[in-house]
Amino acid sequence: MSHSTKRVRYVLKRLLQAVPVIIAILVVNFFLLQLAEGDAVDVLAGEAGSATPEYMAQLREKFGLDKPLPVQLAIYLKNVLSFDLGYSFRHEMPVLKLVLDRFIPTLLLMVSTILLAVGFGIVLGLFAASGLNTWRDSVISIFALITYATPLFWVGLMMIVVFSLKFNWFPTSGMENVVMFYEGWDRVKDIAHHLVMPTITLSLFYLALYTRLMRASMLEQAGMDYVTTARAKGLTERRIMFVHVLRNAILPVITMAGVQVGALIGGSVIVESVFAWPGLGMLAYEALFSRDLNLLLGIFLLSALLVVAINLIVDIIYSFLDPRIEVS
Amino acid sequence: MSFKKLVSIVGLAMLLSTKLAVAQEAGGNLVYIVQPEPPSLAPYLSTSGPIGLVAPKIYQGLLDYDLELNIVPELAESYEVSEDGLTVTFNLQKGVTWHDGEPFTSADVQFTIMDVLKKFHPRGPNSFKEVSEIQTPDEHTAIFKLDRPAPYMMRAFAGYESPIVPKHLLEGKDIREAELGNNPVGTGPFKFVEWKKGQYIRLEKNENYWKEGLPYLDRIVARIIPDASTRTAAMESGEVMYGAFGAIPNVDVVRLREMDTIGITTEGYSMINPMSLLEFDTTKPPFDNPAVRNAISLTLDRQFFIDNIWFGYGKTATSALSSNFEPTGLYKASANYPESPDVEAANKLLDDAGITADGDGVRIKTTLDLIPYGEEWRRAGEYIKQAVADIGIEVELRYEDVPTWIKRVYTDYDYSMNLNYFYQLPDPVIGVHRHYGTDQIRSGTPFVNSTRYSDEELDALLVEGATSADPEARVGIYHKIQDKLSEDQPVVNLFELEFITVFNSKLKDHDFSAMGSYSSFDRTWLEK
Repeated sequence: MSHSTKRVRYVLKRLLQAVPVIIAILVVNFFLLQLAEGDAVDVLAGEAGSATPEYMAQLREKFGLDKPLPVQLAIYLKNVLSFDLGYSFRHEMPVLKLVLDRFIPTLLLMVSTILLAVGFGIVLGLFAASGLNTWRDSVISIFALITYATPLFWVGLMMIVVFSLKFNWFPTSGMENVVMFYEGWDRVKDIAHHLVMPTITLSLFYLALYTRLMRASMLEQAGMDYVTTARAKGLTERRIMFVHVLRNAILPVITMAGVQVGALIGGSVIVESVFAWPGLGMLAYEALFSRDLNLLLGIFLLSALLVVAINLIVDIIYSFLDPRIEVS
Repeated sequence: MSFKKLVSIVGLAMLLSTKLAVAQEAGGNLVYIVQPEPPSLAPYLSTSGPIGLVAPKIYQGLLDYDLELNIVPELAESYEVSEDGLTVTFNLQKGVTWHDGEPFTSADVQFTIMDVLKKFHPRGPNSFKEVSEIQTPDEHTAIFKLDRPAPYMMRAFAGYESPIVPKHLLEGKDIREAELGNNPVGTGPFKFVEWKKGQYIRLEKNENYWKEGLPYLDRIVARIIPDASTRTAAMESGEVMYGAFGAIPNVDVVRLREMDTIGITTEGYSMINPMSLLEFDTTKPPFDNPAVRNAISLTLDRQFFIDNIWFGYGKTATSALSSNFEPTGLYKASANYPESPDVEAANKLLDDAGITADGDGVRIKTTLDLIPYGEEWRRAGEYIKQAVADIGIEVELRYEDVPTWIKRVYTDYDYSMNLNYFYQLPDPVIGVHRHYGTDQIRSGTPFVNSTRYSDEELDALLVEGATSADPEARVGIYHKIQDKLSEDQPVVNLFELEFITVFNSKLKDHDFSAMGSYSSFDRTWLEK
């Protein structure tokens, strides 16, 4: 069997394995969410200021909340299997549309954060490891420690105070200018402008993690036999470092990044809130407090799919980075 | 014979608008804060605050109310109440069209009140309880026929409280499901354009607005910014120009009000009359005993909340009614609302009631639930815990999320003491009766009589207050109601909340109506 057919078969197998996992995630979450007191109707009625019992009963009937739990679950699963994520109680819109609307901003923030954090993390880790125990190493390690220990919301607010209010370089919040109606390139630039501060804030935390991981991993690899062999072959230190060690040292960082993508969706709530970034994290947070079950399950489903996909991609990247790891 | 009333107001309003027109500049975009994001844009289904910040720019009511609470014309150019109070005739503005171009007629008014608000609005069934029929002799006349006089109804016609909706877009449809809820079409100064969930709602100037020369603004955009500190920063940087209902927290207001570019006001909330209070479960010991409730009222230092937690904004409660009802004469300062705390009297009250302390000086152990609407309420709870310890009441605080809390207090009645606030609204019948009437003990309905206090004498007074057409007679009735309530204290009022509106000083005339941020903004303009 050729290498590429093997790879395709592997991907298909992994995807097939993911199906029961995702269904299990939905079922478990469905029941977990039932443990929370009150339902979407209580919240809606509470917000409205007052409501008649008849009105609330009608709402429950409309949402299907009056049916027994197993029936609700069966209906939900049946709908999901036909790609219908249902209707958001609170937003009075199809869940799929709501979630997809928020997916692009989430993806923007996630991808730019991961790229920035992994990219800089690798570079900084490399620098620290190559100048072990010099001032360079100390500065980078202290920087990593500080960024890791600083609360995200505080970093975000300080960025706003300094770069929006003092220097007026960036807008305080939002994803785009709401009254200028930019189109084409101008719009891209405008969104990028709005993206800078949230991305930096969110990546600082992960940056520290990857820096430390990369440093440790580089040091570990540097002591391996193959490095001695390479040196004995007469290769330059530079070549050993960048071609031999780096390639091996990067594996744990990539693994970590893959695992953390899932956490990024939920972990970005604070940054989304501080910068009014319209992402999925905030949507999930609000959905929880309004007991918008359909919406929450929709978001869980999407995040689960995303995590499965990313982990698959990570595994494939492995096989490229280290040909010894075979996909089978 | 019937008496005519308020026909010349139109002229007055026109005079006023020409006078003002000299200085105003047309154009500009207003970006303001809406927080949290509204659940929909259907003000005919929900009175949710964030909806009120957006929808009244799109939908209008028959009447509006100026800052002195006088009635001013809106979609009705004048009205007339028959002497027996059983017929109210509205003469509607001519030449008004919906945003989709259809003409606005008396049929819309009839449909809105009878088929929408009376059936689906949270407060509509109460406000229009007595309306049995609306006659439409011609396109511009709507005659309300009432079973009994309902003087309070005349306070419920603002665009936020009772928006007039287009019959042609709702008739024959499921009102709750209708597309209109996310795609509003009104008669107001601004047309709905776009709603980016989680980001903003955009409205554009209605070029065919029926008020000549209005609105001034080209566009208004409601932005959703979840974090309070970011809202403050956006206000400081000028990215947003207006935030009401505590969008900017009091702690930041204290700093922002010193800035030249920013103004603040506490006007524009007199139709809402928010009152903070303690509810008690009056069906179980110890709070079934009025002496205990009164003792707590005597112990609390109401000024403390205002000075130390709300940064000086607020007014101590002195009765079951807000002092904002003073102009109508309904308000009366009552007993058991001391100016400064009287711990001695409270202790004596408890001693006399035979509620004695154990070895540790504790008379009662209980739980206080806190309204989960922000940090201030936690601080207030902590103060109450400390204060009532002086009279031997040991309190445990409980802070839950909104759905859990609402279910606990208003469905399960699984609470003892609850810190909360209520809107008393423009008339006690609409905002206050729901708190005390026996008919308002409705499990599962939030913000009604959760104390389950029930008193025949009071019930009779409430009915009298709701149906008496004579303003003089109502004064007497409500004074009796307040006396009765200050004696029994099923609810102990703490202080009248003062919400703060923060605005960029370039923004002018945003506060022409008693509805404040819930007004249409048609006369609002921006200085260049």
